[in-house]
Amino acid sequence: MTVRVQLPPVLRNAVGGERWLEADGTSIAAALSDLAHRHPALGLHFFDEQGAIRRNIIFLHDGTMIRAAEALAHRVNPGDEIVLTNALAGG
Amino acid sequence: MSVALVVGTPKGAAILASKDRKNWSERFVLQGWPVTASAQDDKGRIYAAVNSPSYGVAIFVSDDLENWKQLSAAPRYRPEDRGNPEHHRIVGQMDFEGKLKSGGRFVDQIWTLHWAHGALYAGVSEAGLFVSRDRGESWQPVDGFNEHPTRATWQPGFGGLGAHTILSDAKNPNRMWAGVSAAGFFRTDDGGKTWAAKNDGVNGDTGQCVHSVTHDPRNANVLFRQEHRGVHRSDDGGDTWRVIEDGLPVCELSDGHRCSFGFASAIDLKTRNVFVVPLEGDNFRFPRGGQLAVYRTGDGARWQPLTDGLPANCFTAVLRGAMAADQGDPGGIYFGTASGTVYASADCGDRWKEIASGLSRITSVGAYSA
Repeated sequence: MTVRVQLPPVLRNAVGGERWLEADGTSIAAALSDLAHRHPALGLHFFDEQGAIRRNIIFLHDGTMIRAAEALAHRVNPGDEIVLTNALAGG
Repeated sequence: MSVALVVGTPKGAAILASKDRKNWSERFVLQGWPVTASAQDDKGRIYAAVNSPSYGVAIFVSDDLENWKQLSAAPRYRPEDRGNPEHHRIVGQMDFEGKLKSGGRFVDQIWTLHWAHGALYAGVSEAGLFVSRDRGESWQPVDGFNEHPTRATWQPGFGGLGAHTILSDAKNPNRMWAGVSAAGFFRTDDGGKTWAAKNDGVNGDTGQCVHSVTHDPRNANVLFRQEHRGVHRSDDGGDTWRVIEDGLPVCELSDGHRCSFGFASAIDLKTRNVFVVPLEGDNFRFPRGGQLAVYRTGDGARWQPLTDGLPANCFTAVLRGAMAADQGDPGGIYFGTASGTVYASADCGDRWKEIASGLSRITSVGAYSA
């Protein structure tokens, strides 16, 4: 099951500048795990030492905001688009 | 002499380069990443550490200071490692709903990178050391340090519990030092297996807020230490320390103690001159009267103020990692301010010149042959 994942600009260096990646998985967390397996540098950014999705990452799933804590169970369908962004603060 | 500076800020790194140390070019790399530390290995490769509250820490490498590649590995604790709750609170290690992470120990920042004896070392926050023997491709925790018997007594400073200083002995690969805010200064004599606290003469055993330490690795046992509570020297590898503040501005700290406060230090290896930037105590944290001044000493007996070319009415700070020496002849000394200006001296501190401005808070400066 393939979904499309858009990376934020700061993470694209880890995959040669690519903006969109294709990933397999039936949930957001599974898609991230697939990407981390194929691109270990991305895995550093997605998951903390305890294997949890970093908590300030926010996902937009076809326009709906999904927080990290919800990503494990959040189902995705073939062809869906997931946009990675993050909680923003400061100047 | 060609020199390149890697100036770390929360927005990325300014690369300042010069062939003559008079005229400087500037470009801005690693945009969007807070750049917290840098180092150069024996093949000239530059390593830059970045961190993000959203995406964690990583290390980028470059052979030309223009093209940067992220390494696939970075220092990380084990899932079972337990963290310090007070450190979690200080560094805001919580989600945006305000919930603290529970229990674990996390690398939230790389404070320093240090190349020695064919290995790359990283000092991190939450405080710990990691080593890579394959130029950053994989990392191993220095368990003798990270699981130190006194770790339960380590308390974070204002900036958290961070291992920010690593020093090595050019003649003895088994001897190294590490500084932790606010746990103190430690030394290993067995290649990192065991570490002994080295704070005698500063106060107590652990619980010290060491800010930075510098030395000549070829004469490694003579150490100069900028502590929260004053400037100290050791002639025995850190076994004992004494205050060396003759000529330095002394101020009153928030607890009433009088000493010379500051963060950054650097050494010119050719002359063994040592440099610090005193600040007006832990309440104010800017140069006395707003006169930005570097102080220099040859042996610690007497400090000399250096202000030629440095501004008055400068109410900013120089942070612990924001000073470096290029080891040229004469020595080039560089520092960046918390308000984003970089100053350079090409004559070992006699005269200073602004070489960059308009940056954000400068947290690290590395000076490298280019």
